[in-house]
Amino acid sequence: MVEIIQQGLYTSIQDLGRFEYQEYGVPLSGALDQQAFRMGNQLLNNPLKAAALECSFKGPKVRFHQETCIVLTGADMQARLNNTPLKNYIPTKVMEGDVLNLGTAFNGCRTYLNIAGGFKTEKVLGSRSQYMGITKEERINKKVLLPIGTSTFDPEKGAHIHSPNFDYKKPTLEVFAGPEFHLLKKDQKDQLLKKILSLSELNNRMAFRLKEKIQHKLPQIWTAPVLPGTLQCTPDGTLIILMRDAQVTGGYPRLLQLTDDALERLAQKKTNDEIRFKLLPSLE
Amino acid sequence: MNLVPFRVIVLHPKALLLEWEQEPSDQLLEKLLGFKRLLQNQDEVTRCTMGYKSLMIHLSEKATSLSKVKALLYKRYNTLEITEFQSGVHWKIPVCYEETHAPDLVTLAQALNKSPEEVIQLHTAATYRVCFIGFLPGFLYLSGLNPELFLARKEKPLLKVPKGAVAIGGKQTGIYPNESPGGWHLIGKTPLSFFDPKKIPPCFAQAGDWISFEPINSKAYLKIQEELISGKFKISPHG
Repeated sequence: MVEIIQQGLYTSIQDLGRFEYQEYGVPLSGALDQQAFRMGNQLLNNPLKAAALECSFKGPKVRFHQETCIVLTGADMQARLNNTPLKNYIPTKVMEGDVLNLGTAFNGCRTYLNIAGGFKTEKVLGSRSQYMGITKEERINKKVLLPIGTSTFDPEKGAHIHSPNFDYKKPTLEVFAGPEFHLLKKDQKDQLLKKILSLSELNNRMAFRLKEKIQHKLPQIWTAPVLPGTLQCTPDGTLIILMRDAQVTGGYPRLLQLTDDALERLAQKKTNDEIRFKLLPSLE
Repeated sequence: MNLVPFRVIVLHPKALLLEWEQEPSDQLLEKLLGFKRLLQNQDEVTRCTMGYKSLMIHLSEKATSLSKVKALLYKRYNTLEITEFQSGVHWKIPVCYEETHAPDLVTLAQALNKSPEEVIQLHTAATYRVCFIGFLPGFLYLSGLNPELFLARKEKPLLKVPKGAVAIGGKQTGIYPNESPGGWHLIGKTPLSFFDPKKIPPCFAQAGDWISFEPINSKAYLKIQEELISGKFKISPHG
């Protein structure tokens, strides 16, 4: 068991996501930075779908009630294990009673705490990812005890990788043209692709809004399926990028589609961070 | 060259969006449903999701070449024309239109120059088609609202629309599957649950099904609510 002493700013259980029920309106969910999340499981020899704690902006303080192994990936939250600094991407044995304290993120904003065997919280519709109205709780609260799985992993014998030195500040995000992109005029395309854009304070697991708007007279579309990473444009020109907890359908024009890699990079950005879209050739 | 009535947009290396040119209709919905069923049995496809006039096809690891997948889509679509369509099942949804459950019925009726009774009569006379599910888990996009009941959404959305609220917004009618913000006019409420994450599948209805509303009084509403808790009431398709 892992006890949550302080829950941090926004901490939730996440895994690969909920794939099977989108035709019933169920969002995909899952770790926002899938790359960091998967790397954590690889480092612990876990199954790829083993659930982890996704910690945003400021991390939690937790106490381990049993001996196990953990690894931190993603943003650097200046973690301390019993007051000793703990680096990301290094699988570490923890003992019963050990306390892990995560601080404020300074490179990136989301950190994954993966644990040997994974967190074994309730599984609903094929996933443990927390989402309002599907799991009992939509995020982690303090004082809860989280059950964990078993594992024979030994950090002495596990996989070792060089700590990947991600520069989460890099603004470039690769995109494909969305279904309505071709309807934009040249100056509108330039606004979207040649300018440095930035994230507004309205950013959460459902969607990230940009500060910049584009003036347009695009027609509304018939409600259609959307994906995480779809950039939509509302009638007043607000640009919204859908994230993993987004609705499964949308009715706004779809201008761009972020690549998976771009979506994972975006997940590490926060209010005021700069982004710049780079259009990739179409996949035809 | 295969002629098909949709354009294929490669949205993502693992997702194709098929968009039909024609306006939504029952005939188009049958085609979308039929094509979806057919594609879901292909090794190259993991799942399909629907919109009013589009299908999103999520590709599996077996889909190694986009041009091959496209060729497969064209070939399969052209075999679809001769297959038989399924028509979906009919669900009768009990709705209480009494004032306590219908805070906006009177204002909606006034705006449409009708009596509340006329609104209820028009709303219950129609049979609606489930086009697809989206917006919220278990929210059915229904077609078939009588144009006499069209009314623009409220200017100020409510922060909390209760679970089960039956509402009209613009050219649509729908049921809120869970408490959520919403800008539609609330004209009634059903005790039935349209989304239950403990059940598989989590909704009793699915795209292609039919829905009609049956007026009940608040006493019957309470009775159904109690029977749902005790397990005595089970929703079953009509006829």
